[in-house]
Amino acid sequence: MTTEELEKLLAEQPVSRLHRLARGRIHQHFRLGKRRLIETLLQHSSENRAGLESDLQALMQESPPPPPPPRRKAAPESTAPRPRQGAKPPTNQAEAEPAEPPVDLTAFLDGMGVPEPKPFVPDAWQEDALTSLATTDVIVSVPTGSGKTYVAIEATRRAIEAERTVIYTSPLKALSNTKFTEFSRLFGADRVGILTGDRQDNPQAPLLIMTTEILRNLLYDAAGGEIDVRLDTLGLVIMDESQYIADPERGVVWEETIIFCPAQAKLLLLSASIGNPQDIADWLTSIRPTPCHLIRHHRRSVPLRAGYLHPNGKLTPLFRSVGIPHGGGTPLHPEAKRLFAQYEEETLRPNR
Amino acid sequence: MPPSIHPVDLIGALRHKHLTPAIVFLTSRRACDDAMQAFERSQTTLPPARQDAIVSVFEQLVQQYPSIAEHPLMPVVQRVGVAAHHAGHLPSWKIAIEELMRQGCLDAVFATTTLAAGVDFPARTVVVTQSSVRKSRDFTDLTVGEIQQLAGRAGRRGKDLVGFAVVTPSPYIDLSVLTKGLTGQPEPIDSQFVISYPMVLNLLKAHPLDQIQAILARSFAQFQLNRRAETLESKLDQLHVQMKPYGPRVCTDWITQWQTFDHARKQKAHRVQVKRREPPELAARLHFLTPGRVVGLPKGRGIVLRQYRSKGQRSPTITVLRPGGAVTESPADAVTQVFDRTFDVAEAPVYPWVTPASLEDLARQASDLPVRMPALPILVQEEDEEGEIVQTLTDEFPCPTCPSRSACQKDHAGALRIRQDVHRHTKAIQALRTGLWHRFQNRAEVLQQFGYLTPTCHLTSEGEWARLIRIDHSLLITELIRADAFSGIEPQILAGIMATLSHDDDRPGAFPRISPGLASLLRQVRQLAESLAPHEDPPLLRADVAALAERWIGEPTLTWIGLCRTTTMAEGDIYRLLARTLEYLSQIHQLRNTHPGLADTAGKAIKNLRRGVLEELP
Ligand SMILES: Nc1ncnc2c1ncn2[C@@H]1O[C@H](COP(=O)(O)OP(=O)(O)O)[C@@H](O)[C@H]1O
Repeated sequence: MTTEELEKLLAEQPVSRLHRLARGRIHQHFRLGKRRLIETLLQHSSENRAGLESDLQALMQESPPPPPPPRRKAAPESTAPRPRQGAKPPTNQAEAEPAEPPVDLTAFLDGMGVPEPKPFVPDAWQEDALTSLATTDVIVSVPTGSGKTYVAIEATRRAIEAERTVIYTSPLKALSNTKFTEFSRLFGADRVGILTGDRQDNPQAPLLIMTTEILRNLLYDAAGGEIDVRLDTLGLVIMDESQYIADPERGVVWEETIIFCPAQAKLLLLSASIGNPQDIADWLTSIRPTPCHLIRHHRRSVPLRAGYLHPNGKLTPLFRSVGIPHGGGTPLHPEAKRLFAQYEEETLRPNR
Repeated sequence: MPPSIHPVDLIGALRHKHLTPAIVFLTSRRACDDAMQAFERSQTTLPPARQDAIVSVFEQLVQQYPSIAEHPLMPVVQRVGVAAHHAGHLPSWKIAIEELMRQGCLDAVFATTTLAAGVDFPARTVVVTQSSVRKSRDFTDLTVGEIQQLAGRAGRRGKDLVGFAVVTPSPYIDLSVLTKGLTGQPEPIDSQFVISYPMVLNLLKAHPLDQIQAILARSFAQFQLNRRAETLESKLDQLHVQMKPYGPRVCTDWITQWQTFDHARKQKAHRVQVKRREPPELAARLHFLTPGRVVGLPKGRGIVLRQYRSKGQRSPTITVLRPGGAVTESPADAVTQVFDRTFDVAEAPVYPWVTPASLEDLARQASDLPVRMPALPILVQEEDEEGEIVQTLTDEFPCPTCPSRSACQKDHAGALRIRQDVHRHTKAIQALRTGLWHRFQNRAEVLQQFGYLTPTCHLTSEGEWARLIRIDHSLLITELIRADAFSGIEPQILAGIMATLSHDDDRPGAFPRISPGLASLLRQVRQLAESLAPHEDPPLLRADVAALAERWIGEPTLTWIGLCRTTTMAEGDIYRLLARTLEYLSQIHQLRNTHPGLADTAGKAIKNLRRGVLEELP
């Protein structure tokens, strides 16, 4: 469709339809007249023309003058909110859809933005982890982005204050490096060391960063009688990304490290969400001097929403609700469902 | 409609809805690079202020990582405000992109799904374009855990009120995998414990053999195996209860007795001639020679511990516990009598084939056997005298006239099924409880065979240094050292060998030519690797990959760019290859005390290897 064609098509539409098209696109669109509205729509959608066109098509199909024969998956849903106006939600006899009307795009996108700056207050689970670490091993299995690093940093600070050595392990050299930079900035370069296979930078520092393999080797060397590690002053071992214990090639190294971790050192295992953190906690309890404390939750600190973006640029919510529902049999948003079905049909059809 | 949204349109659509910055996960490195090229060709240009911000972050980073200063993608990133981030890039470049993302300078990063854990930076939005990832050669559906790890990068605490996970389709996407991943519970994880040669050596260095089983029992692997064993054990308890009504009757082992009788009857009825490998007397006996059975042998009586047929041997053998505690092997056809007497045994998969507790118990029983015991009549079917079977059945078998005949007949099938279940469960439980320990023993046996361990499982002088080689293919490496394969070689040749040992990727590529010296040593390595194949999986040993390391270490004036030009391998892959080579070399370097010459060569190789880009990170 050329710009002129689109402009002409827009001009043919009743103004109410244009307003619905402008919703979520143009601020205070209801103040604009038809001509201005079309101009602004075109201007505003220059980067995403396809999205505008498909929304328009959807709106036009919604109330076509002569009612067409009922086609499979006629798509009356669109970005425009309608149920609130009292219009009846579409019913499809084939499937029983929940009574709750699906969310519209505006509501879906509503509320995004930057939060007001707030003074840092540790979450309850973070406090819980730190308190427990004073007496026991701790496993933290919480969603990504919850703030596990804060626990690691604060636990390290406390251990260093108590004149204990801290070892921080990560599965990847690249992550070690990132943490080395971050911790050096926090604690001062003289208090952070990094160990690799062929190098020791500042090995006398109270906080040592290394990969899990290097720590495993240190523990074997210590057990074998080579004594160049300060294992007797070791107070805390932090293992980041400890879900790696299930890695087919390297997982065994996590087990070896945990089995040989000196009894007086506390273990802090940080893990992304896994299905059975309780098993790991039970295991630790069975082999370590103190019962392991498990901290686990699924709550995301920043709520997550899921959307579907059609290749033509059109965005719709993925689910019927604003947030991501839990559990199986989750109904998709009818619009996402329709668009995806259309996508599959078009891309999977042979000899197109 | 295009099979997937054009990258420039994708970012445009996200920008329009204020959904940037975003991380876009794509199927391959190639897709990420293509996306960057699409941006390069597009009109996208950031306003000057944003470009300045990118430049100033870059300038800071260049001080720490000089290699990014001349990176060809740098001007593009500055102009378009998006970047690619994948394993084909140098670590320093990835760190730079991560830092730009953290400082909010970029609108989007195109990353590959393969290394979600390596993408340690968040964004407002995460875009997912696929539901499966390439793992080795196949495409595997993303797990719930992986999908949540990807989606979890959306929504930066302190910077976003809400995060968005946006699915956009591409061919072969399965929407249900993704919705399940977003809404479901992550999978439980399982131990992946393996027992390697270095583990055996290092354990035995620090602990006597009799403590090892207890140490292995502390693994997560054994913890999980025990859980499974416990489930089976409670099932086994139920089976024992079910077995109660089927205890000893007129004869102790009526189940086997009846089984044989029944079998004989059926043979008679169907007139089926069964071809046997054993003579008929022996065949008839074999059913009875099960663990726990008391038998008579030419040199006295004993309790059967197991029956087996070793490779190449025609007739079956039994292991017998003699009164006095000796465990001996005897051909099954030496058995002179089968007594109507069995004991419970707890079988084990290795010598002495029963658990220590069970052995102790049986030894006591064997010494206390009554002088007279009822012997079982064994029905022998003469193959050529089938007509007489009917006669023999009624004449010699006790069953036809036995008072409990009808009860046995009725119960037999059910009892047999339960007994087989008991057997299966007992075996499975044994395997779960002792499997790790046996794997350890197998490894230890190999190490004894090669002279790293004494027969009493102490480290030999060879074992003392070999335990320091704690990498893949450790047996091959230590055997090469013992075969003097590395004596007097140049550092670059040693590096070449270590490079090819460490490289397990078979993706094709073009590489520099290999030197004749390295080629001939590589042949030797390959031969040895093949001869060790029964004990250790041989490495790929690609010659072309070895040549790359040889070049870099052998030519100290060669620049990084120069090295990259000699191959089609991506620079991130070259970096990883050399970093792994460094790791292998530093293990060799540790052998200072026992192999000073070799350690010195490794030291020289390390020194040459660590230059330029490879000097930038610890
Ligand atoms: N209690 C808190 N209140 C506010 N922000 C926090 C809190 N704890 C952590 N954060 C912030 O959350 C972000 C994510 O934390 P991080 O430790 O990287 O997450 P992860 O759990 O994935 O390791 C960081 O920017 C951190 O500063």
